Amino acid sequence: MRRQYAWRSYSLAILMAMIGLLVPVQIIRIQTSQDVDDLIAQGNRYAGYYHTYYPKRGEIYDRSGHLLAGNKTVFEIGVDLRNPYIDAHTIALTLSVHLGLDYNGLFENLENPKEGEYYIVIEDFVPATVADELEALKAKLEEEAEVNNESHLGTLTGLEFKEHLQRSYPEGSLASNVIGFVTLEGRGYFGVEEKYNNLLSGEPKTVWVPSDPNRALEIPNVQDGTTLILTIDRELQASVENILDNALYTYGAENGSILVMNPGNGEILAMASTPRMNLNEFWNYEAIYDNASEFNRPISMPYEPGSTLKILTAAAALDNGTVRPDTTFIDTGVYNASGATIRNWDEKAWGEQTITGCLQHSLNVCLAWIANEMGASSFYDYMQVFGLGHPTGVDLAGEAAGRLKIPGDADWYPVDLSTNAFGQGVSATPIQIMMAASSIANEGKMVTPHVLQAMVQNNQQYNSSPQNAGSPISAETAQTLSEMLAVALENESSMALLPGYRLAGKTGTAQIPNKNGYYEYGTTNASFIGWGPVDDPQFMVYVWLEKPSSSIWGSETAAPVFALVAQDTVIALNIPPDNIRRQISAGR
Amino acid sequence: MIRGLSWRHFDFWLLGAVVLATAFGVAMIRSAIAGNEELLLTVSRQTQFALIGLGVIFLIAAIDYKYWLALYRPMYLVMMILLIMIYISAQPQFGAARWFQVAGLFIQPTELAKIVIILILARYFEKTQNEPKDLRWLISSIVWVGGLTMWILLQPNLSNVIVIGVIWAMMVWQNGVQVRTIVILAFLAALIGLTAILIPEPYSPLEEYQRARVFTFLFPDPNASYGATYNVLQALVAIGSGGFWGQGYGHGTQTQLRFLKVRHTDFIFSAVSEEFGMIGGVVIVVVLVFIILRCLRAARLARDVSGSMIAYGVAVLIFFQGAVNIGVNVNLIPVSGLPLPFISYGGSGLLSLMLGIGLVESVVLRHRQLEF
Repeated sequence: MRRQYAWRSYSLAILMAMIGLLVPVQIIRIQTSQDVDDLIAQGNRYAGYYHTYYPKRGEIYDRSGHLLAGNKTVFEIGVDLRNPYIDAHTIALTLSVHLGLDYNGLFENLENPKEGEYYIVIEDFVPATVADELEALKAKLEEEAEVNNESHLGTLTGLEFKEHLQRSYPEGSLASNVIGFVTLEGRGYFGVEEKYNNLLSGEPKTVWVPSDPNRALEIPNVQDGTTLILTIDRELQASVENILDNALYTYGAENGSILVMNPGNGEILAMASTPRMNLNEFWNYEAIYDNASEFNRPISMPYEPGSTLKILTAAAALDNGTVRPDTTFIDTGVYNASGATIRNWDEKAWGEQTITGCLQHSLNVCLAWIANEMGASSFYDYMQVFGLGHPTGVDLAGEAAGRLKIPGDADWYPVDLSTNAFGQGVSATPIQIMMAASSIANEGKMVTPHVLQAMVQNNQQYNSSPQNAGSPISAETAQTLSEMLAVALENESSMALLPGYRLAGKTGTAQIPNKNGYYEYGTTNASFIGWGPVDDPQFMVYVWLEKPSSSIWGSETAAPVFALVAQDTVIALNIPPDNIRRQISAGR
Repeated sequence: MIRGLSWRHFDFWLLGAVVLATAFGVAMIRSAIAGNEELLLTVSRQTQFALIGLGVIFLIAAIDYKYWLALYRPMYLVMMILLIMIYISAQPQFGAARWFQVAGLFIQPTELAKIVIILILARYFEKTQNEPKDLRWLISSIVWVGGLTMWILLQPNLSNVIVIGVIWAMMVWQNGVQVRTIVILAFLAALIGLTAILIPEPYSPLEEYQRARVFTFLFPDPNASYGATYNVLQALVAIGSGGFWGQGYGHGTQTQLRFLKVRHTDFIFSAVSEEFGMIGGVVIVVVLVFIILRCLRAARLARDVSGSMIAYGVAVLIFFQGAVNIGVNVNLIPVSGLPLPFISYGGSGLLSLMLGIGLVESVVLRHRQLEF
């Protein structure tokens, strides 16, 4: 170069050197600035994330292996904002068409995401069919873009599909009160789903997932949730629900419950309640039910059962020897009990009656007399051993305890002994009365009602065994009372009778106390409890119709419903008529 | 011209530094695009371009640069036609039309144009070396440069116009422009620049995104989100978390997880700083400085003004692009889309720089006219 311009070269060299020096200076400034911890923390935050692997929720089957609750594959659809080629218009347009979402909102979210956000969940629980269509479309558009660089079709690049499982109930509303449901968060509510939530959901495992493809990813071994097999018989459950729905219509009742149980081991074969809901649309829950106890009435809703409770009074009195079946009682139509007057259901005097007659005609006066003969302490001892006032321990969520006032309670009055004797002033759920009555059908031994027959864990089946809930009465008393109740039904030509089978049972018609404690005229709870065959009870049925309007009497509403349920039950359980059964056992 | 050519003066230090930088670039691109299927081909493409580029260096070095200067008219014309074509008919992509697609490869004439302008200016300053360095001389040089540059400005590609402007300014300075003229021009330029920034849309000659970039740099909005400061912030996170030794090759979270956008092109320096720490960043600066110094050495040794100006122009080109790119990465200047020389992904850019290095070698090979 020419010497005269040397100073120009040097000045430029100095300028360049200064600029060059600025770079390391600035790097040091960044790396030693106050924000460096924040910057590093931010970098580390992106390095990975915690992912929780949820086990496949256990399935629920009925006693013969029909699926009641399973899982189906659904998709979470989201957009990975880190992808530099996101086409917000195409994504928003496609999803607005396929998922019915709002185009403008979607477009806005994609174009202007929140700061630091790199993944947007657009829609979860998308059915597999829809997700498959979208995935195929995405692949097609990407292929198109590859073949033709000037493709104006747009692209769905960045759209991601994450597969996971959602609860599904193939039977819809069948046994909804028993099964319960699972919300989107995966927690069970009501019934078996809530009671056995921990078993069904299994143990989720959380692992750190590095986003760096070069680092190893630990995929944990997550065991599936436990599968449950219920004692419920799908066919019987369906026909019982059908009978209940028809009964509500026929007798103009508001609601109802029907329970079918094996009194020998406590297995619940059917449990119907109204109203029911399609479990696949659990979000309708609030529209269908006013409060949680309506979800499964036979276990959650205590009521004054009325005359069905008389069998427990009779059982107690027979068992402690206060009366015998042929003890006679002169019914004058009134009984003065500690300042109150007890009258019969028809307010008439029935004259001389045996205890069997008292039960047959359901005489309040007679039962009040029996309880007073027994004495309060003995009566309430028996009632407590029968389990009144305590939950039965049935393996369903939301069981209520009912209320048995006993001497010593602030709100117990001597008159309660007389009224409790025929089922007033005491509240119980159908399942409580059923458990108590199982002692009469099962040679004095009470069984705990349950719906879990077996569970399957790691391909191993564990059967649940029947649980004894105590022996409130002797086998002899049980047999005597069963016989009395069978005779009573036959003498009365009850509508509960089923030709060919000898059954024992008792109706109940209970007035409904209003919120002030006074009984309202004309509205009743009609109930029936019965079992059979009497010489070898294999089923026990409880029917409860709330506020029937065609007739207020249990004998005219609940009793015929019992007969229908008994008929379907003997068919479902394949129980031959008594005479054939005896021939078979004699021929053996 | 090739026959009897002695390679004794071939600058192997320069070649070595260029090969080193390019190889490091390929390795860094491989790390930066890891896991991205769309960019999977970039590594092999960059490698192909690097190998072709090496051939170009030797080929161009073998040819006396004087031949190119003699061909300045057709060269100028062809370049102008290419730039006009790109302006008229190129496909829009990434918001700006800068590529020709030839045989599946994107060719960017703008990169080549920078080398052509260096040659044109070199010839001009050689021809006018004994004329007075007055305003007429200055304006003539502007006209020569402007004929090509206006089409780049129209693309619009402000970054490269600035690069060309700097090359021109440096050459003018080196050839003895009067300080008085500079002051007048600087004043005018500042005035035009300020007006351009301050005039509101739609009258502003600047594109909206260019204005936005300048504004975000000058007045950073603490609440600004994603689009505006996103890249700069992510680059800061990358450099900040790199530390002294870095997080290791293939282990930079910002880089590997694609928070850092355009990490294999404009922001590759941040990726290097994250994975190789301050050491990595400084090594890149040192290698680039070494290349620039070897180019300036060629400029000093050159047998004539044109040779000197070619080597000088290439040095300025590498220096300025490198300085701007790294400056953006370390948040010293506003975001602009200039690649890091030899390191960033980009076939045309790499090839053009290799072409420039070839010219420099050609100059250094012939620095003595007579060799016995």
